[in-house]
Amino acid sequence: MLAPSFATGLWENLSHDIHYIWPQILLMVSGLLMLWPLDSWLLPWTKAEKHKWAIPTMAILLLSLAISVYTPNGLGFSAMYKVDGLTKGFQVLCILASIFAVMLSQKVLGALFEHTAEYYALILFATSGMLFMCGAVDLVTIYFSIELMALCIYILVAYLRNQERGIEAGMKYFLLGAFSSGILLYGISLLFAATGGITTNLTELNQKLAVVSQDKSLLVYSGALMVLVGLCFKVAAVPFHMWSPDVYDGAPTPITAWLATAPKAASLAVFLRIFGTGFHSISYEWEAPLMLIAGATMILGNVAAIKQQSMKRLLAYSSIAHVGYMLLGVLSKDAQAGAQAIWLYMLLYLFMNTGAFAVVIYLQGKNEGERIEDFSGMGKRHPVLAFSMLVFLLSLAGIPPFIGFFGKFYLFLLAVEQGYTTLVVIALLTSAVSAFYYLEVVKQMYFKEPAEGEVAPMDSYSKFLISTTCAVVIIGTAFGPQLLKWTDDIRWFEKETPAAVMEFPNK
Amino acid sequence: MSGTAQLMLLATFLPLLGGLALLFVPNEKREVFQKGSVAIMVVSFLLSVPLWFQYDRGSAAVQFAYSVSWMPSLGVKFSVGMDGISLLLWLLTTFTGPIAALCSWGNIEERWKEYYVWMLVLQTSLLGVFIAQDMLLFYIFWEVMLVPMYFLIGIWGGPQKLYAAIKLFLYTLSGSVLMMVAIFAIYFLQHKTNNTYDFSIESFQAMAPVIAQQTKAFQVLLAMAFFLAFAIKVPMFPFHTWLPDAHVQAPTAGSVILAGIMLKMGTYGFVRFLLPIVPDGTKMLMPWFLALAIIGVIYGALVAMVQKDMKKLVAYSSVSHLGLCMLGIFALNPWGLKGAMFQMLNHGISTPGLFLAVGIVYERRHTRMIADYGGLSKTMPIYATIFMLMTMSSIGLPLLNGFIGEATILMGAFQTWPWVAVLATSGIILGAAYMLWMFQRVMFGPISEVNTKMADLNMREIAYFTPLLIMAVWIGLYPKPFMDIMDKPVQKLVLQVQPDFYKAEALAAKQAEAAKAGMHGMEAGEAPEAKEHEASPAQHTAAEPGTATPAAHATPGGGH
Repeated sequence: MLAPSFATGLWENLSHDIHYIWPQILLMVSGLLMLWPLDSWLLPWTKAEKHKWAIPTMAILLLSLAISVYTPNGLGFSAMYKVDGLTKGFQVLCILASIFAVMLSQKVLGALFEHTAEYYALILFATSGMLFMCGAVDLVTIYFSIELMALCIYILVAYLRNQERGIEAGMKYFLLGAFSSGILLYGISLLFAATGGITTNLTELNQKLAVVSQDKSLLVYSGALMVLVGLCFKVAAVPFHMWSPDVYDGAPTPITAWLATAPKAASLAVFLRIFGTGFHSISYEWEAPLMLIAGATMILGNVAAIKQQSMKRLLAYSSIAHVGYMLLGVLSKDAQAGAQAIWLYMLLYLFMNTGAFAVVIYLQGKNEGERIEDFSGMGKRHPVLAFSMLVFLLSLAGIPPFIGFFGKFYLFLLAVEQGYTTLVVIALLTSAVSAFYYLEVVKQMYFKEPAEGEVAPMDSYSKFLISTTCAVVIIGTAFGPQLLKWTDDIRWFEKETPAAVMEFPNK
Repeated sequence: MSGTAQLMLLATFLPLLGGLALLFVPNEKREVFQKGSVAIMVVSFLLSVPLWFQYDRGSAAVQFAYSVSWMPSLGVKFSVGMDGISLLLWLLTTFTGPIAALCSWGNIEERWKEYYVWMLVLQTSLLGVFIAQDMLLFYIFWEVMLVPMYFLIGIWGGPQKLYAAIKLFLYTLSGSVLMMVAIFAIYFLQHKTNNTYDFSIESFQAMAPVIAQQTKAFQVLLAMAFFLAFAIKVPMFPFHTWLPDAHVQAPTAGSVILAGIMLKMGTYGFVRFLLPIVPDGTKMLMPWFLALAIIGVIYGALVAMVQKDMKKLVAYSSVSHLGLCMLGIFALNPWGLKGAMFQMLNHGISTPGLFLAVGIVYERRHTRMIADYGGLSKTMPIYATIFMLMTMSSIGLPLLNGFIGEATILMGAFQTWPWVAVLATSGIILGAAYMLWMFQRVMFGPISEVNTKMADLNMREIAYFTPLLIMAVWIGLYPKPFMDIMDKPVQKLVLQVQPDFYKAEALAAKQAEAAKAGMHGMEAGEAPEAKEHEASPAQHTAAEPGTATPAAHATPGGGH
């Protein structure tokens, strides 16, 4: 049969499989519209201010959230993109994180000096990149969607272009990000070569890698390792975490909160796809390095956080440590159970992390500072804020009954079942270490006298945002059964892969 | 849900609900917080009292049980209930609550709202630990309690409060996270053996035979993980270093709750988890455990002897007394275990009493140094009398509560580990020495100018000492009800740890009878353990236990 021309092939694919990617299309098209016609015409016409863009952005994100939940399962685009429970679950996480980021960027919180349509459009573009990442089942789509996400984030990190540290953060992130993408791509090409240069599809790659001949084992090993390194850069796992504290510190704080959650959720989805599907047959190659990385991430993330003076940097290191815990789920031999545990952990982490950042943003906006010392006496100055922060921090430390404990409990339970007892012991001991630095903040808030100065009353928006998140964190565990029910839906459908694709002609 | 279970849950969660209600009172209304918290604690205590009468002493089963499914896919249940051991400690907690609230009236001078709310939250989490029948639920209560305690010490404590608070938190946390791993390990072992996911304490205890068949290393690691979590809480030497700091820095009520209840959680953990779940692992490590216990007894006493600070002295005396409790537990026989449980109760009465007594002079003079006092009995006769009774109770004077516990523990320990018991008696002698010496230096001798102005106890202070004194005398004169309630649970525990224990005893009794028959009327000694004999169906022949009984189980379980 004659191969169809590129154009007709593209058209056929699009018309046939477009229903899988409606959420992404919605995000991209509305982002594009926002950038050009609407921002230059609609806004001047209605005399609205730029920060009003937050509201349509939120609406679009909510709409895409609804669409992505109801997207049918299936495999499309020549088996390069797949929609299943895993895709949908992690897409929900990414969109939720973006919604939180938009909520934190509101003008009343005062985290941004200027609001532009580009800011919101870039969030939309990056989110669509993340949504692609969650469903990508081919090394090529994975690489492209990572780039789509990362390029937007580089700009957003450097959004405070009048501040030196903002520019520095953007530059650092860009250079290191480009570097890591290069390594990832090189790893992909090595694997492509090792398996005979036929396929980049993860399912097929898995079969090919299982039977790869002995003389190519070095290629496979170095390829798998490079992919691992490239992805570890994206989730900021030790020793590839160097960029993260500086970037987190320099980025606008809502973007920092977003960086700690959304790209990590998407990258972990990619992690699960690649290591759960593509490299499953060669788990002996990457298991030991990943174990080392996970252990080092937990230890270094938590130990380095102790010395931090800035709240943003503290949360950055704590986010590194949390990624270390989540890598335990990637290690799981039962990839599905691992995905479920990571999903649950990420969902709960999303709430407590957003809450903690909301408090930081609020204080920054009121010019009360972001250093840990600036939190002194907050228990007296802002009782509600301080109590919420206490709850978020204890939850991050994994103290019951807050939801952070539940996430850790579920994740570590799985890891013990999979036989990673030593890593779990490290994880638990380092989480005891983490209690130390979280409690340092609590100490400042409750045991130290407040600094002099007038205290502005809290506006109702911040109060609503923070206390709602706080309530979720407090009572979330009581809804454990419901959470576990959702978690149970995070499963992938290998069986639905069409037979024709599975039996790709073997040259 | 049965009425008694409702009562139990109500008494447990009432302090939490009351604390939440107090949140809505403005901070200025100091009296509302003071009286309100005492009222809530008293009501909680009154609600708890009927359970003492409702408890069926003839059964070792968990009573007042109530259970609802929480996370079925993981086997987690909200499951509560109590047996005799938990009931005793649970009642001790509800009993201590009003005292702790009442003694705070005088010494909490700022941030009343936070203080009383945290205290009420703490009370619920303490009570929850004793009623939890599910491992996860237990763990949640166990960890939650750290947060309010951290605040009580950190905000209202002494000069070194920040250090003491974080030390308490981190020590306890790092111990309990290791316990979590052990819990997970048993959970999956259970799934492997009978294909169920279940977090209930009962199912964990039922795993003991399976755990006994695992490798030695596995058992030892499990035992060590549990041991560490509980030994830090008890605290046993060398994990005790948080205790003097926490006690000295904590406000009086904090010390009362720490000494009265929180230390008991550790020993409770030993009898509820370590012994029944990993009996063989415990026996493998027994020499080490015993060594630590006995070092604790003697070291604690010696360090207490040289203290210049009254509160620190009482704190180190706790290390010594709890070491003795641990010795009783590690005797692994009914006398030792019962004595240890009983001594926990006694320690929960006399040590809070001593801390309260120290708190009273501290409120008046703002110093705890022994050297600053002297001759107080001249100006504060009532105080001196009460202090003396509490001291006597602590050192184990007959007719007061401490004596019964110490005697029973030593009796049990002597049968299993005679030499260790001999060493432990030295701790008791030292205990009498440091306590009486402190009493002498504070109460007698010349009185300084400042101290002549010190007022004697007021009605409120007498009010919170009275229940403690009544209990101390009551237990000292008539301990039977308190012993009886532990009868069946302790018997069950002994069977869990040493399945052959009562068989060996019955055999020994038979031998003794045979010997007596052969020797024509050799005189049988008085049997302190007659109750156990009636209790066990296997030994109806043992009506007259002979002199050979102790020898027969001198080395139960093959500890070495």
